[in-house]
Amino acid sequence: MNVRMNKFLLSLSTLVFTVCSLHGQDGVSFKADIAPVLINNCLACHGPKKAEGGYRVDTFERFLREGDSGAAAITAGNHDESESLRRIKSEDEFERMPLEGEPLAAAEVALIEKWITEGAKYDAEDPKAPLATIVPAPTHPAPPEAYPRSVPITAVAFSPDGSQVVTGGYHEVVIWNAADGSMVRRIQNVGQRTYAVRFSKDGQHLVAAGGAPGRLGEARIFNAESGELVTVLGTTSDVVLDVQFNPAGDKLAVAGADSSIRIFEFPAGNLIRTISSHSDWIMAIAWDNEGKRLASASRDKTAKLFDIETGELLVTYSGHSNPVKGVAFHPDNEQIYTAGADNKIHWWKAADAKKAGELGLGGEVYKLEKIGNIITASSADKSIRQIDAAAQKEIRNYGGHADWTLSSAFHEGTKRIVGGAFDGAVKIWNAEDGAEVVTFVAAPGVK
Amino acid sequence: MRLSKLRKAVLVLVGAMMLQAVPALAADAQLERIEVYPAEVRLAGVREQAQLIVTGHYADGSIQDLTRAATISTANAEVVTVQGTVAFPAANGEASLNVDVDGKTAAVKVVVENQDKPQPVSFLYDTLAALSKNSCNAGACHGSPSGKGGFRLSLRAFDPKLDELTLIREDFGRRTNSLDPDNSLLLLKPLMKVAHGGGRQIRADDPAYAVIRDWIAEGCQMDTAEAARPIKIDVYPKSGRVLKKPAVQQQLSVWAHYSDGSVRDVTPLAVYSSSDVEVADVDRNGLVEGQKRGEVAVVVRYLEFIESSFITFIEDVEDFVWSDPQVNNYIDDAVDQKLMQLKYLPSDLCTDEEFIRRVYLDVIGILPTLEEVTAFAADQDPNKRDKAVDGLLDRPEYSKFWALKWGDLLRLTSGQVTNEGVYKYYRWVERSFRENKPYDQFATELLTATGSTFSNPAANFYRTSKDMNDCVETISQVFLGARLQCAKCHNHPFERWTQDNYYGMAAFFNRVQRKNTKRANEMFIFVSQSGEVTQPRTKQQMKPWVPGQGDIENPNEFDRRLDFAKWLTEPDNPFFAKIEVNRIWSQVFGRGIVEPADDFRDTNPPSNALLLDQLAQDFVDNGYDRKKILATILKSRTYQTSYQPNDFNEDDTKYFSHYQPRLLSAEQLLDAICHVTQVAESFGGLPAGTKATHLPAPDLVNNEFLKIFGQPERQTVCACERTNESNLSMAIQFFNGPLIYGKLKDEGNSFRKSMTDGKSDSEIITLLYNLAVCRNPSDTELKASLEHIESKEDRVEALEDICWAILNTNEFLFQH
Repeated sequence: MNVRMNKFLLSLSTLVFTVCSLHGQDGVSFKADIAPVLINNCLACHGPKKAEGGYRVDTFERFLREGDSGAAAITAGNHDESESLRRIKSEDEFERMPLEGEPLAAAEVALIEKWITEGAKYDAEDPKAPLATIVPAPTHPAPPEAYPRSVPITAVAFSPDGSQVVTGGYHEVVIWNAADGSMVRRIQNVGQRTYAVRFSKDGQHLVAAGGAPGRLGEARIFNAESGELVTVLGTTSDVVLDVQFNPAGDKLAVAGADSSIRIFEFPAGNLIRTISSHSDWIMAIAWDNEGKRLASASRDKTAKLFDIETGELLVTYSGHSNPVKGVAFHPDNEQIYTAGADNKIHWWKAADAKKAGELGLGGEVYKLEKIGNIITASSADKSIRQIDAAAQKEIRNYGGHADWTLSSAFHEGTKRIVGGAFDGAVKIWNAEDGAEVVTFVAAPGVK
Repeated sequence: MRLSKLRKAVLVLVGAMMLQAVPALAADAQLERIEVYPAEVRLAGVREQAQLIVTGHYADGSIQDLTRAATISTANAEVVTVQGTVAFPAANGEASLNVDVDGKTAAVKVVVENQDKPQPVSFLYDTLAALSKNSCNAGACHGSPSGKGGFRLSLRAFDPKLDELTLIREDFGRRTNSLDPDNSLLLLKPLMKVAHGGGRQIRADDPAYAVIRDWIAEGCQMDTAEAARPIKIDVYPKSGRVLKKPAVQQQLSVWAHYSDGSVRDVTPLAVYSSSDVEVADVDRNGLVEGQKRGEVAVVVRYLEFIESSFITFIEDVEDFVWSDPQVNNYIDDAVDQKLMQLKYLPSDLCTDEEFIRRVYLDVIGILPTLEEVTAFAADQDPNKRDKAVDGLLDRPEYSKFWALKWGDLLRLTSGQVTNEGVYKYYRWVERSFRENKPYDQFATELLTATGSTFSNPAANFYRTSKDMNDCVETISQVFLGARLQCAKCHNHPFERWTQDNYYGMAAFFNRVQRKNTKRANEMFIFVSQSGEVTQPRTKQQMKPWVPGQGDIENPNEFDRRLDFAKWLTEPDNPFFAKIEVNRIWSQVFGRGIVEPADDFRDTNPPSNALLLDQLAQDFVDNGYDRKKILATILKSRTYQTSYQPNDFNEDDTKYFSHYQPRLLSAEQLLDAICHVTQVAESFGGLPAGTKATHLPAPDLVNNEFLKIFGQPERQTVCACERTNESNLSMAIQFFNGPLIYGKLKDEGNSFRKSMTDGKSDSEIITLLYNLAVCRNPSDTELKASLEHIESKEDRVEALEDICWAILNTNEFLFQH
């Protein structure tokens, strides 16, 4: 019985969105109180992918617009002329929304009624903005104290001084001692999964990007020192897969499963540009050395290069003919490295997207991480490659992982390379001689 | 003791099923005893269960499914519990279950074991089965070659390696969440908690949900190499159950047998389908519900294992009295047995006029002459129909007409075997019929042919079957009645054919070599002494394989095709004789006992299995004599029944209670028009007087009329290429098409010639009726025709109208 009870509590505690309380002092907030209810209960059938009954709730504007029935969806101040409310409250199981699902909680229905009574006001900026982008950042549930088993290591980074390694965990990022692999501390209030961790240029901030598959994407900015959440950027409805600071450190690019790239001023956090050019997930992004252009790798089998000042698409590279998963600039700023599911790293000219060379690996290749003149690559061939970015050749192949490697990083000061694997193992090597420094399982409580 | 999720789900499910109406019991018969299956239950794991099936035996010999009417209780709930009709383990030990229906009881012994050991979910045999159960990997969904929405599964889980990668690893393991299994995308999507293009496909209380959830919770483990694997499934009840309205429910149970000897109830994970949903439906829990009288195969699929249970549904028909119709031979006995059971009454015999027309068209493809019609009508011999059959089978047109049918299957076209080659090949086929070559010899000569396509025309078989894949697909369709194309790239989604089977069969034919010789249009077929087949997915080298027997261990390394031909033509081969007798049957009835005639599969059972078995046995016993089996069929009463239904067989289309009219084939129709008008059609360079039914190949002459009426191009071996579906072009041809117009206007046509010969209007009208429909016009018809001539100024024009009208009657257009 205990096992079951624990599981039940775990399920409850991991609900991504939490409904705000009824006791808001300034009345009911659409973005904080109503939008989360719609996202959790209605969006699956009444969204852009599936608009049952011709009715959608993915933006405030659409939520108000009538569906095929022609009945007014929501009429401010009038419960009787709000078809959506009527369907939610209906006693007829063939009418009551969500169809075939559990009815909304009484408290949720009460919130919607009160919001309509109060005039059905919108308290965000753009009524056409997807709901996911206007809801206040949720407070994420705590990670398990001890993991029942490891999780894939999809993100690793060295701390600015190289003494620590940060890994993405389950609803947390975890900081480890880079010399012995001991756990240093845990930063919580993080999305379910983390696909990229990066430090700001000054080392003051730590960004954890990820979310919950199919439900939420975001980049969370933490105070690196205290672990306090500073802000949340780039919220979308599916996971964020990469974030990158520009060389100056005053811009942050965020990209992921919504197929767009968002560029924010940092640390101010205001959105300065959105680029929507890819037709499928963006797996990785890279700034050029001057911070003027941005390259992207996508599951749509292309890599693209954009001018950040204008947002203009400069070139498209289609040489992989397979999903592209990693991207990095050559130190000369004239060539771009990309890697993908064709098990290869290609390099090609930024000017005309002409291929200049390639390096074959034994499995599909994930992100390309560039620090200085060194690129590291993780791959399904279970190795980490260290590549001389200028000379365009492999320096060393770090084996020893028992599973696919999914993430890697290099630290210039300490000359260390780290690689994280699908089975949860993290290995750190000395890049000068290739010797292994430490191996540990980056899952609290798992040996 | 933890109650597994699966079990809870089953409880809910069973609870829901209990709410359904208990089946009606037959009122008039006395329940004598009940029988429970399985008689003994062994639950050797925490995830096990046992679906019980309770059968009632009645005093009148009838049976019915009483599973839902039974009260099942446990003697010791500490050891075994019962929810509805399913037993679940509780703790190690022995106990019994008591089953009661109206005071009739039965006891089931239960042994429970291994409750103190974990029983992890098997990825291969539970998780993948659960995905198949919910159609996630169906061809229209994630099983399509490119997947759906970026998520791709192998079709019906034929490639577990791919599925493992996709489910666990692809996109960084996005789909499963073993720290919080219920929050896995793999479950949230089909629940529609996250938008899913396919809509809601699963419920949290489905057994399949529990399987997938528990597998994720256990960390998405793969099966160990030594884990037992299923080797077959059994379905209970086995084929042959007869259920009488109103007791038309039947619960099925499905048992998987494993390599370690263990047996598991997989009823909740099996997938059920009915071969004829109008007769009976089956729900996702394996509950069959009869709808109307008839027979169905309920096809049960668990992973790649497929079994069927044939169930017959009968009902009382008011005022039905069996008429003891005439029985000519065993065919009529087998047909009557089925008709009697299903309460259909055969129609009366057709008239002599109908018979003579029908049998001419079926045996030699053309209409009888006026003299032949008259002579047959005048013959007083009670055996005259048998005599007519025997006489027709000895006519030269018989072999030409049946060579036309086999020409379709063997793809005789000048495009494929050259102009010169097609005549030689045609003559070879035609001679085989003329000499009545035994069918096993005919097939063997084709399958093992070598040498020059000129000196041995049978070698053209490997000219039209251009490569290994073509050979496998052609041979399996023509000689095994199996459409194997799907299995080239993946296991057949609905049938037992696997990709391994396809490439195993290929290993007989991969060594066939084809090369052009120095003589124009000649090809030389030979067999090389080496070369193996590699299964493209598993990269395994395949041994030659045949259904039923498996791998051929020591194949004839000189020519492996000899092994195949030997296996194929063994008297006990389950396919060979049946396919051919069914094909012959379908040629003369317009419908096979298995229909389509070249599509034998579990999901397409014969409408009369006994009849098919007996015909095949007769065919084998008589040395594969095609003329003899055809004669037997034609001499049966069944063949000679009227096309007109009676009150008790109107809605029967598949049990042969009456003859089913069908449109004449393109070639028959053209020949028949020429016959009525007495104006021959000319076919390019072919000798004058050549009939359409005697054309060696469709591409020797371009005849628009034939094409419109469904002459096949012979691009495939599928019998379906010859269509007899009607279309607008056909109607236009008969309304004002150039071919018919030309023949009606021809100066030398039948009615003009008769006019010249000084025949009276009545004589001419009578002639036209006899030529077209083998009978004299009725008084009404004659009167109407004469009146028409009367009303017209121009006699010839009036006769043109009358001939045109006759050609447009259904009686002329249809074989009836």
